[in-house]
Amino acid sequence: MATVKQVEPRPAARGGAAGTNLPREARRAHRRRRLGSTGRHAALAFATLVFVVPFYYVILASVKNSNQIFSYPPKLLPFPVYLGNFKELLGQTQFLRWMLNTLIVAGSVAAIKVLIDSMAGYALAKLQITGKRIIFILMLILLMVPLSALIVPLWSLIRMLGLLDTYWALILPALANPLGVFLMRQFILGLPSDLMNAARLDGMSEFSIYWRIVLPLIKPGLVVLAVIIFTDQYVSFIWPLIATTSNNMELLTVGVANLHARGGVNFGLWSASAVMSLVPIAIVFFALQRQFMSRSLTGALKQ
Amino acid sequence: MSAPSDPAIEMVDVCKDYGSVRAVQNVDLAIAEGEFVVLLGPSGCGKSTLLKLVAGLEDLSSGEVYIGGRLANYLKPGDRDVAMVFQNYALYPHMTVRKNLGFPLHRQRKAKSFVTDRVDFAADLLHLQTELDRYPDELSGGQRQRVALGRAIVREPFAFLMDEPLSNLDALLRVQMRTELLRLHRRVGRTTIYVTHDQTEAMTMADRLVVMRDGVVQQVGPPDDVYDRPVNTYVATFVGARSMNLFEGRVVTANGNRRFEGPFSLDLAADPLSGIADGEIVLGVRPEDVSVCPDGAPGQLTGVVELGERIGGDVYLNVRMPEGNTIVISVDASDKIGEGESLCMQVAQDKLCFFGADGARLSTGGRDS
Repeated sequence: MATVKQVEPRPAARGGAAGTNLPREARRAHRRRRLGSTGRHAALAFATLVFVVPFYYVILASVKNSNQIFSYPPKLLPFPVYLGNFKELLGQTQFLRWMLNTLIVAGSVAAIKVLIDSMAGYALAKLQITGKRIIFILMLILLMVPLSALIVPLWSLIRMLGLLDTYWALILPALANPLGVFLMRQFILGLPSDLMNAARLDGMSEFSIYWRIVLPLIKPGLVVLAVIIFTDQYVSFIWPLIATTSNNMELLTVGVANLHARGGVNFGLWSASAVMSLVPIAIVFFALQRQFMSRSLTGALKQ
Repeated sequence: MSAPSDPAIEMVDVCKDYGSVRAVQNVDLAIAEGEFVVLLGPSGCGKSTLLKLVAGLEDLSSGEVYIGGRLANYLKPGDRDVAMVFQNYALYPHMTVRKNLGFPLHRQRKAKSFVTDRVDFAADLLHLQTELDRYPDELSGGQRQRVALGRAIVREPFAFLMDEPLSNLDALLRVQMRTELLRLHRRVGRTTIYVTHDQTEAMTMADRLVVMRDGVVQQVGPPDDVYDRPVNTYVATFVGARSMNLFEGRVVTANGNRRFEGPFSLDLAADPLSGIADGEIVLGVRPEDVSVCPDGAPGQLTGVVELGERIGGDVYLNVRMPEGNTIVISVDASDKIGEGESLCMQVAQDKLCFFGADGARLSTGGRDS
């Protein structure tokens, strides 16, 4: 736009063809830009549609009764709202209990893991320990072992410990996953060692360095890790299916899957359970989202 | 160990190995109370490692470190009563300036009013009063540097250890902070070990200079001493705004006169040479000890100016001599000597340094006068 304005006086001065050409070119460029942005928006809108439609469909199905779900032509608006699915879910199944179990397990795994992973990460990143490299490599190898290869020995172990069908059976194995340690180590490696040296000279113990200096500085990493672990636990299915036997100890994933087995075909109920299952994870995500933006490291060091 | 002459910090045969690499080799150094000692050397010469050994941030491979007469080998860094200023400042980014300054004291469980007093005192001293509630990332480089200094000062430690504290500042600020640091040292008067690779800093600040190379201490002494009487060719080239000019050659005696025969011939006065036998030597002369003189006098060097570098009131001239060697001389800018000019040069005989073929200074000679 600015170029157009600058060129405008020229035709008066020179009266030539150049004066009329330039605005036309500018207009053309402008049009091209607008076309480009329209195309981009169209692509984004399509992508959004692809992601949103299934959610919308499930939400829609959850507030319809069986007849309405399969009526033709399908109604795209959820009116009239039918709450029977939710009533049935909350009243006639153990849904709330499963939810509680899931929150307890995912919450405690996330909390404990964030703590021990960051501690181990600090040790592996910054402390002088003999065999540090070997420990780290062993952990990386462990990362490559798929869960399915571990399930049988893990189940035997948990059974021998007498922990089957308890919260411990669901929490303990998850704590051993080294992914978090690896992430934390990489994160803490980025912190300048002189910060810890300064703290050591200030007379702080290694633990208080970890607690007062390292933890506050890796807060964004902790939040990311917590979200990853929480969602990972929230949606885990195979191990909870194997480690629990009673309906009372089931997690959401297992319980909801069992609805299919126990109750016969009931799309409305299934949709309602899917919608309800989304609530806590959405809350966790949105609550922690702000924490992603934290005071950056700039200023600690002159880069 | 109570005599006033006892060193404040003493290193006895200190070594540090990293695997098969010996970073610090057999360092013996005694630092008096209140002294400002500068460790000078190129990157990787072990000077920072030596400082970390004193601070306790690295473990000794062998040897002993005494701080205030106490064996410190097994003391934790926090128990050594030393404060360190790091090259990259190492301010706690999640704390305000006030908290950064007060943090070491809170750890010592000092009373709140005491902490406030000390923080205010340090902020006053370093002109940080208006910055107390800001975070490190909101400060300029110079301010961060002052906060780092302040964090060391509030503790009133037995000694300060400074690891290239000015190397991240721009040139002008560096000079200002240098003066400020010196003023602070005069005022606080604590023993200070200061690590730098900048020999201007070293020359201007040090009470005593320790020149290091490859983990080995080359020379210890007052800056003037190190500058005038370098113990070897390495120190001669490393210390000084411009390296000492070095020329390999031989000393010969002919007709009772002694001459230096090398890239050029030079009649030598007898005095500085007494005690030096004929044979291979390295002749050293500082740029400022060569003067430009009118043609014709005997014992002069000649050459053509290749390049002039003006630094303040002085100009360093790279002069190519007929024999092909280059000599750097320093002249006054007002002399207005241009590139391409032919020169006659006179060497100040009493300022010459003589080194053996192995690079070590020969026992006599040098700028002793």
